[in-house]
Formats: sequence, structure tokens, C-alpha cells
Amino acid sequence: MTLVLSRVTAHFSDATAHEAPALKDMSFSVPSGSFVSIIGPSGSGKSTLMRVILGLMPHTSGEIVRNFSRPAMVFQNYALFPWLTALDNVAFGLRMDGMDRLERERIAREKLKEVGLAHLEHHYPAALSGGQRQRVGLARALAISPDLLIMDEPFSNLDTITAEALKADLLKIWRAYGMTILMVNHLIPDAIELSDQIIIMGAHPGRVEKTLAIDLPRPRDTRNMRFFKEVDLLTEAIRAIS
Amino acid sequence: MLGSITHPQTRALHQAHARRYRRAWVVMTILVAAVLLLAAFGYFGNVAWPTLLKAVLNTTYRLALAYGIALVLGTTLALLVGWSPFADVLFPVFDVLQNVPSFALIPLFIYFFGFTSEMIILFAVSSIIWPILFAVLTAIKSAHKDLNDAATIFGANGLRRIRYYLAPLSFPAMLTGSIVGIAIGWEAVIGAEIITNVAGFGDFIREASASGISQSMIAGTFAILVIVFTVNRLVWAPLLAESSKHYAE
Repeated sequence: MTLVLSRVTAHFSDATAHEAPALKDMSFSVPSGSFVSIIGPSGSGKSTLMRVILGLMPHTSGEIVRNFSRPAMVFQNYALFPWLTALDNVAFGLRMDGMDRLERERIAREKLKEVGLAHLEHHYPAALSGGQRQRVGLARALAISPDLLIMDEPFSNLDTITAEALKADLLKIWRAYGMTILMVNHLIPDAIELSDQIIIMGAHPGRVEKTLAIDLPRPRDTRNMRFFKEVDLLTEAIRAIS
Repeated sequence: MLGSITHPQTRALHQAHARRYRRAWVVMTILVAAVLLLAAFGYFGNVAWPTLLKAVLNTTYRLALAYGIALVLGTTLALLVGWSPFADVLFPVFDVLQNVPSFALIPLFIYFFGFTSEMIILFAVSSIIWPILFAVLTAIKSAHKDLNDAATIFGANGLRRIRYYLAPLSFPAMLTGSIVGIAIGWEAVIGAEIITNVAGFGDFIREASASGISQSMIAGTFAILVIVFTVNRLVWAPLLAESSKHYAE
């Protein structure tokens, strides 16, 4: 298992030291090399959960077993450093590792090529479209050879065509790298197309409502009956909790 | 190819900068032409140009030195505080300190440093440092949570966080803080020179005003305008243009 959460609870605290529950008794596990999606309504603490898993926010009780050493993250709003070119953004993690310039630029160019942006390496984020920025974000994550890739709604700011293309590339990359992916998603068909397992979260406070295993064969045909059946099942499960 | 990729927002920013740049030069040309015309009619006949030039250079030198010290101190302090876990505690303390009127402190500076050029420089530092410190600190505090998280996840931790993340992140704020700081700095240096009679532009206009030579005051004011304009066009405008080009979201 790459990640195991046992009854994890976390609170938000504001400037007045008032604490509000964000996550309550969350338990689930993420098998190594699997693709797991987290789906749930707004306010269910999906992004908070990602921050807790990465240790960016403390949890107040419960236990997290982190069997990963090189996590990376792709953000909904890209979170690219605006003062760096696409190449330098991708090479950022390697630079922090102390890798020499030639080597890190070689790797960064390779990753940009993998996401189809080799020709834009000298562009700053402001000069890139949303889809291009997200690809740079993905390349930045891949550059550090992560064993766990966390993706926080990576397609939600993209148009359908761009999102479909990026999704196809992501599946190729996942197969090629064999890493574990934990993705926050809000689209049911996407979650079923991509995932081995789907965790459905409830809101106020964020909690695990249901965990579904998706055992459709890969590559998945999004137009056959079994796929639609899984979409129906997941839709029903979400309706039941909301 | 590049034209088709460049974001429309970035292109619009460049065009706006170009327009402002052209307008500023037009204003300056009109000013220079007016002064040359006045000079041609002998209006500035009574002005002691060497004395004025020396006074302006003295004041500019003090301001430049004060700005340099304030920039290093203000930015370093803001980066260290912004990086530390004490930013939220120290921010209100700085806020109270910056609200103390600078000129109320001038007797203290005179007490410690006397009627000297060093006193004026240090007094100006105490005025210039605040806009720089606050601009940088605010930029760090208001950085998007995702950007902070990205820096942490990709390894910008410890002191490397300052060099590779916080310093470049706050560069545009440091620029705007500097522009405001220098404007305040002119007032501080000239005001302190007027109060203390230490040789400089402040002292020059005080004397010119006392002896009723208005031409000297006008010539002096124009000389300062030229310096302010030149620094703005040659230093700040290109840096701001570069900053908005690279830092646009």
C-alpha cells in the first residue's frame, strides 16, 4: 500500500483560534501503482485531504501511513511560478535537489516533450493557455520521478477538448511510469474511465461515505453498457448521500 | 508563431506600457522646451548654477545611499519575517512602528548623529524602509496557497525557500515599494536639509526663498524633476514592464 489512512480527523483553525472540523474519521487505503479517484460535493474537504496526506496541514487524530518518498502534485489552478519559463518551472524540483543545470534541463526538456510542449520551453506561464499550463504542471511533477502523484481537479479549468487530450496523455504516462495516482475529480464518467477505485466523500465535515472498486478492463470503452452501468451506480451512490 | 501563442492579456499590457512611455516623453519634452525658452529670454540669469548643481548632487547622493540601505534592510527583514512562523505576530508591530511620523523622530536623529550628512541619510532610511518592507511582506503573506504548497512540495524548504521562492515572488512588490519609498525619501532628505541647514537642495531652496530669488527655486525644482523623470524612465519603467510581463497571471 502506498497510503493508508486510519480514522484521520483534521480541523481548520482561524485567526481567533476557533476550530472547525474539516475531515472526520477518514479511513481508506491506496494500493501501490493504482489510480484512485476521490469524488464528492463542494465543501467535502477533498483538497484539504490532499494537503493532510502531503503533510502540508496537520491532522488532529488518527494515523497516516505514508509509504512514499517522492510525492508530487498537479494543481487545479496550475500553481506555476510566473517568474520562471516553462523549462525552469519543470526543472524547479530538480534544482531544489541540487542537480546541475545541464542535467536538470535535459530532464526538463524530456518531460516537456512527453507532454507535447517541447516548442514552448522558453515561454512564461502568462503566455501559455490553460491546457498548456496544466501540461507544464504535469511535466514539473513527472520531472522529480514521483512515486505518488496527487492531482487536485486537474481538468476542471480546461475546455472539454483539452481535458480529453490531457486525460488520454495522463493514462499513457501512468502506464509508462507505474506510479500511484490519487486524483480529486468532480466528473463521474472521468472517475470511472480513469480509476481502479473511487472514494466517495460526504460534506460537513468531510468523511468517507463509500468506496467503489472499478474492475472494468483497460483500455476502457466509454461507450459500452458496462461503463454506463458503472456511471449509473456511482451517480446513485452520490445521490443517496446528498 | 510567437504572436499567435502570446496571451492577449500580455500583449495588451505591452501596448499599455508603450503608450505610457510615449506620453511621459511628450510631457518631458514640453517641460524642457519651456525651461529652454525661459533660459533663452534670460529668466535664469541670477541663478548660481554651480551651487545649485552641487546642492542637487548632494541631495541625490544622500537619497541614493539611503535607498540602497533601506532596500537591503527592508527586503532582508521582510523576507526573513515572511519566511519565519512569526509573520502574523510581527506584522501589527511593524504597522504601529510605521505610523510614527518620521519628522517627529528627527530630534532623536540629531541627538545621536548631530547636524551631519549621515544623520540625514539615516533619517531617510527610517522613512524609505517601511513601504519596501510592507510591500514585500504583504506579497509574501498574500501569495496563493497553491503556490506556497507547490514550492514546499517541490523542495523549496529552509533557506532555499527565501532564495528560490520568496525573493522572486516578492520582486514586483519590492519594485512598487521602492517607487513609493523613493518618493517619501525625497521629502525626507529635502525636509531634513531644510530643518538642519546641512548643505543640499533643501538648504539651497530655503536660502533662495529667504533671499527672494524665485528663479533659483524654479531652476532647482526643474533639476529635481529631471532627475525624478530620468530615474523613472530609465530604471523603474523598464523594470515594471519586465515585471508585469513575467508576473502576469
